[in-house]
Amino acid sequence: MHDVNHAADRNARVSAIPEIVIAGCGAITAVGDGVEALRTAMRTGRSGLRKCERYSDTRFQSSIAGVALQNGEYDDPAYELASRALAEACGQAQAVLTSVAPERIGFVLATTKANIEALERISDERKCSEEGRRHLQGDLLAADLAVEYRAKGPKQCVSNACVSGLIAIQQGARLIQRGEADAVLVAGVDHLSAFVMAGFSSLKALDPVGCRPFDRDRAGLSPGEAGAAIVLTKKIFFQSNHPTIQSPIFLQGWGNSNDANHITGPSRDGSGLAAAIRAALTSAKVKLEEIDYINAHGTGTPFNDAMESAALRTVFGDSCPPVSGSKGMLGHTLGAAGVVETILCVLAIRERWLPGTPGLNVPAELAPGSLMRESRPANRINHVLKMNTGFGGVNGALVLGYE
Amino acid sequence: MDRTLDMSVSTNELKAKIIESLRLQDVTPEQIEDDAPLFGTGLGLDSIDALELVVMLEKHYGIVIKDIEEGRPAFRSVRTLAEFIEAKQAPK
Amino acid sequence: MNEVLVTATSAATQADLPNAKMGSRFGRMDLLSQLALLSVESLGVNFESMDRTRIAICMAVTAGSLPTDIEYWKGRREPGGPSPTLFAYTLPSSAIGEIAIRYRLTGPNLCFVGSRANLLNEARDLIDREEADACICIECDVVTAAIATITGLPTKAQARAAFLMRGTNGFLLKENHRDIESVCALVSAAEAARNSSR
Repeated sequence: MHDVNHAADRNARVSAIPEIVIAGCGAITAVGDGVEALRTAMRTGRSGLRKCERYSDTRFQSSIAGVALQNGEYDDPAYELASRALAEACGQAQAVLTSVAPERIGFVLATTKANIEALERISDERKCSEEGRRHLQGDLLAADLAVEYRAKGPKQCVSNACVSGLIAIQQGARLIQRGEADAVLVAGVDHLSAFVMAGFSSLKALDPVGCRPFDRDRAGLSPGEAGAAIVLTKKIFFQSNHPTIQSPIFLQGWGNSNDANHITGPSRDGSGLAAAIRAALTSAKVKLEEIDYINAHGTGTPFNDAMESAALRTVFGDSCPPVSGSKGMLGHTLGAAGVVETILCVLAIRERWLPGTPGLNVPAELAPGSLMRESRPANRINHVLKMNTGFGGVNGALVLGYE
Repeated sequence: MDRTLDMSVSTNELKAKIIESLRLQDVTPEQIEDDAPLFGTGLGLDSIDALELVVMLEKHYGIVIKDIEEGRPAFRSVRTLAEFIEAKQAPK
Repeated sequence: MNEVLVTATSAATQADLPNAKMGSRFGRMDLLSQLALLSVESLGVNFESMDRTRIAICMAVTAGSLPTDIEYWKGRREPGGPSPTLFAYTLPSSAIGEIAIRYRLTGPNLCFVGSRANLLNEARDLIDREEADACICIECDVVTAAIATITGLPTKAQARAAFLMRGTNGFLLKENHRDIESVCALVSAAEAARNSSR
């Protein structure tokens, strides 16, 4: 096989790689419906975690969870959550989306369990609609949501444990950058379920009093449910449809890695996450000192938070920027986490407001010195680092901000 | 739950239950020594295996371990685990 | 710069499992992880000679982890509750985790649910973008009878893998190579030609 030199073509393509901006956001979470509810909770530090009657069975370590679907019983909660978030995000991005042909709008869904509610119903021989059953399969859930929201371009369902959300955002950007789409709807969803509650309980991974990220006495996580959506598009599309908005928020870079250590436990030294963070900063061409805020994964389990603290120390040394974790507000929303927590970062940037860490009382000894318990205003939030880690050793990091 | 007449836990049966619940391949009860460490070295079990053994104890011996720390010394070897089960099953 | 080429392909089915020599902890993995792992082992790639921080793993799983989900959920009524080990495998990406652990591969991961993802295209993009230097692609199709009843998908238990990297010895991806099976024919033909010329 002879050498084919494509260097010239490749160089041309690299310099023509479109910049990706965020054109719209939508969310339904434990603190309420809509991004505005998220914004308010970010400022007040309110937690959406509650004791849930339906999980008060003594078999479970804890009944504390973040409930987003308050009224009524749903047999297709995954679709409901994702659809509501998409409605809001597409509404915000309407100008861009109506200027793009549907065949050029892609769709990427992030979910760990899709509509697992259907499996519970079928197993118990309870009623389940055809749609509910269909949406047990993540790819079909993605396909149907794409139809509802007029995305006829490439469709994907990403399932990479708790990093699914960040990876779905990256996939959205990649689809645009390699020319397969001009805009992408990225949605993340997971709903609360006995399936997940029982699972984390069997791993003794739930905190009986509710998650306390980075706390000295932390004892585990609290599950949450959410639907979250972000519309991504090319900078030129955004600008031509929003000529008065000078500063959109850019997706500037990302990195992924695997710890290759243990199927549920992260590596103790955080080297895998550190590598993902460094890759994100390098690809974003953003220096360490240019990061103004870090939104951590911060599940509240002893191992995760220790590992993240180690990773941050490895990368930032003694100069770690302000850092906080949001799972005490929303719960651990699994597949939705990367998307909803990125939306929180968008809000932080726009508002110049640093979110705090609900649930945190006394920081652990080895937690970063810049860990914030209370939220507070900031003079400048130009670049934010968002990270997540998950079962199977996966790590992901994203850098977003102003140009 | 099986209880032998003299109330001692059959280590052979316990080893078989460990192999079955942890789905260890190519390991027979005869290959597991009574006093060999279960975790770290020896069988090289890990934290998930410990949790799986907690489930096995409840399912097959009716013993409930609320706090994983309570189980830690018991899980050191097959012998310590057998003694733990006997102690928990002894009539009060 | 060299082209991104497919340098190896492989397949693994349930029939291959009893003879698989993958260590004493292979048994605790779910069927999906076992098949995925075996297909990667069968690629015969010497990962140790490469920069393992730059090897990506991409996977597409037709029915996600549904077969394991059902098995896990059956245990909910047992004294002691459902199996924590099975819960760890109710994520299709756990199979990627097992592959990463066995071969110490710390590069990027990508896991799709459904059978329509063009993994070869994703792999080539990751390498072109320099997010990785090489990529393992695995297509997994695990549908048990219970899942076939719920989803209408045909029962299956198989995995196919391909290895992509820049090089001079291998197969160039063409437009019609939408999945690993389409490339397998090329690889088999080449191997047959090589064997007959000996």
